[in-house]
Amino acid sequence: MHIHNYEKIWLVLAMIMIVGFLTTVTYGATAVGIEMISDEEDTIDPGALDEDPRFAEPRVEQVGENEYEAYVVAQQYIFSPDPIEVPANSTVTFYVTSPDVIHGFQVAGTNANTMVIPGEVAKLTVETEEPGEHGIVCNEYCGSGHHVMEGKLIIHPEDEFEMEDDE
Amino acid sequence: MSGDAVVTEIDHDEFNPRGTLALILVYFAILVVMWVFMYFVEFLGNDLTVIG
Ligand SMILES: [Cu+2]
Repeated sequence: MHIHNYEKIWLVLAMIMIVGFLTTVTYGATAVGIEMISDEEDTIDPGALDEDPRFAEPRVEQVGENEYEAYVVAQQYIFSPDPIEVPANSTVTFYVTSPDVIHGFQVAGTNANTMVIPGEVAKLTVETEEPGEHGIVCNEYCGSGHHVMEGKLIIHPEDEFEMEDDE
Repeated sequence: MSGDAVVTEIDHDEFNPRGTLALILVYFAILVVMWVFMYFVEFLGNDLTVIG
């Protein structure tokens, strides 16, 4: 088969683009360390969150020098804790679950975003940088109050952040 | 057009669709700019990226 030179040009460009896309995604996954949110966390009884050591009391806990874990419950139509308060320049892992229906957990304007499925625990780790406030929105329709379901993530300057002792 | 006189006959390789080529290059350029912008600027530049 004979291929016209111009056709060769655009075939090659299309190939370059496909390889480029794949390279970009590979670069993100390896060099930058972008992760997908998996389902590898153990399942949980959505009707018994109050007996779960993590979710009975939704909270932020310090687990390392600069590492924090946030146990978050998303339910019709609130997130708890609200606000979620963490320090800047730290590593924060969110564990999010739901006792009722499917919700979303999205830190507005950022890439921190997951589905929240009853019976499953969504785990996502982020690195906070600048202090500031972000809204948290539920982005899965979850009932008549879905549109008012919001929370807040406050990133405090490191020197102003103090963990409260058990309330 | 009378249709009875063939003016020139050209073969496959002599016909060069320059306009089509130009259009494809413009599309390609737009896609490359969008690709770089969306991934490297919008996505990677968006704080709170999921790393675990
Ligand atoms: Cu919701």
